[in-house]
Amino acid sequence: MPEASAVASRVPPSKALRGRINAVGAAVFVLGLGVWELAVRTGLLDFAYLPPPSDVVVGLGELIETGQLQGALAHTLFVALSGWALAGLLGVAAGSVLGLVRPVWRYSMASLEALRALPIVAFVPVAVLLYGFSARMEIVVACYAALWPILLNTISGMRTEQRLIEVGAVLRLSRPAVLWKIRLPAATAQIVVGLRLGLSISLVLTLVAEMVGNPAGLGFLLVDKAEALQPAQMFAGVFVVGVAGIVLNALLMVAARLAFRGQLNAAGEGG
Amino acid sequence: MTRSSEPTGHGTGSAAGTDSPGATNGTDGTDSISCEGVGVTLSGSSGALDVLGGVDISVARGEFVSILGTSGSGKTTLLRVLGGLLPATTGTVRCHGSVVTGPADGVVTVFQDYVHSLLPWRTVRRNVGLGIEAGCDRAERDERVDEALIMVGLRQRADEYPWRLSGGMQQRVQIARALATRPRVLLMDEPFGALDAMTKASLQDQLQQVQELTATTVVFVTHDVEEAVYLSDRVLVLDGSPAAIGLALDIPLERPRHQVTTKESADYLRLRHRVYEALGHDIGERARLGEHDHA
Ligand SMILES: Nc1ncnc2c1ncn2[C@@H]1O[C@H](COP(=O)(O)OP(=O)(O)O)[C@@H](O)[C@H]1O
Ligand SMILES: [Mg+2]
Repeated sequence: MPEASAVASRVPPSKALRGRINAVGAAVFVLGLGVWELAVRTGLLDFAYLPPPSDVVVGLGELIETGQLQGALAHTLFVALSGWALAGLLGVAAGSVLGLVRPVWRYSMASLEALRALPIVAFVPVAVLLYGFSARMEIVVACYAALWPILLNTISGMRTEQRLIEVGAVLRLSRPAVLWKIRLPAATAQIVVGLRLGLSISLVLTLVAEMVGNPAGLGFLLVDKAEALQPAQMFAGVFVVGVAGIVLNALLMVAARLAFRGQLNAAGEGG
Repeated sequence: MTRSSEPTGHGTGSAAGTDSPGATNGTDGTDSISCEGVGVTLSGSSGALDVLGGVDISVARGEFVSILGTSGSGKTTLLRVLGGLLPATTGTVRCHGSVVTGPADGVVTVFQDYVHSLLPWRTVRRNVGLGIEAGCDRAERDERVDEALIMVGLRQRADEYPWRLSGGMQQRVQIARALATRPRVLLMDEPFGALDAMTKASLQDQLQQVQELTATTVVFVTHDVEEAVYLSDRVLVLDGSPAAIGLALDIPLERPRHQVTTKESADYLRLRHRVYEALGHDIGERARLGEHDHA
């Protein structure tokens, strides 16, 4: 979008960077790791299968060396992102229709509410039954999970302020132009919120589907290592899952800020 | 906001790109915009409310007409009817000969709440271009946007986002957006109502200049007597319940007008007095009616 490059950020870049890298937070995190290491080494924490962080690092090295981690991570990311992207397309399209066309909204809201009340995890066995132990099953689960926040946020974002719609009418914008130039941009900040929520829940449900369904990816790696009594490697897997979630969210925010600078700034969510 | 209307629903197919280059302005005697026997009944929480009844207005091409009234007298409602944003319950609105059923071609409304009327994700330049993107190629659009921005004195701030500008500047952006479409009729709903006195005065003079330059017909809603008399060729006072035109007063002050000298002239003071009288009488009557209600 042309407006993305129009104006410099409100905060100078060095200051913005300093604001984002939280030194105190990082220190507390490192301190926590130190305490954990000490507590395990001194026997203060006495679980049979709780490794100290240093062992987890070793476990991580082993996982990388055997190539298990790369394979599992690639699989999980592929599935989670595919499901999420699919949900993004479906959710924004369906949410726009539901938000814009009153009758559709009125007739389908009851069914949507009922479906939403069903915990998403309960849907996993259903998907396994329908699609078998396959990546396709995982994608369906991830997509279904991510669909909800995206759909609901799009619907509510589409409730554009009446005044803006009147501006479109007064300037005699065509219906597609009102949708494209007013309603969708006005909903962008909220749609991005939906996409963020959708991405994290897509990752979670992908892991669940891998734990109880398809034996592949990081989810399966975690249960597999736990059953094989290799806690160091299992904890390494948990660590990778956490980092993956954080990195995905950060990437999404960067992409959204680049693409929708004006919209997010206007909504007070700009960088 | 008023929510009873259906701004996009009714009327004129809202085709894109229907701006009229070289619109024929100038007072040739025919009406620019007019309404006949307009009545509006709105359904509020306490039942139906007759806001307007039997309003007749005709505005000549190039004329500057103010509609004055106390708060809640139905000024906004009337302007929305003229702008095709609200269908009249009775009566008809005509614009350049054809009956208005929706926002008409060449008629642009400027809203009071500029904050909600500008697209915050677009720069000033792209806000001003909003109404002419479909009908003009890039070069012409840029030219017309620049022209409009120069008219309101915002050429320097073109690449700024509107929410970084002062209230007065934001309202100028909205006016520039209307001007960029080269409207034949400008409908303005208390456009300077939310601004401080100094900004208000300077925007009044800017509007005066723009109108002189473009010969646009202006219907200007305000509750400020001085503003109405200062700017207008004619002042209409909205009066009664349901409201109709109570007083129609020609303002034959010479143009261009000046904030100081015009407002000191005996003619100005006399006209202002008459308008105040019309409004004051109105207020007195309402107060008495209120007493009756309580009794
Ligand atoms: N959407 C609506 N529904 C019901 N009543 C309304 C609506 N909009 C305005 N009114 C009523 O109509 C009257 C005139 O309103 P308005 O035209 O906004 O007055 P003004 O602009 O002169 O202050 C007021 O009494 C107001 O309460
Ligand atoms: Mg009003």
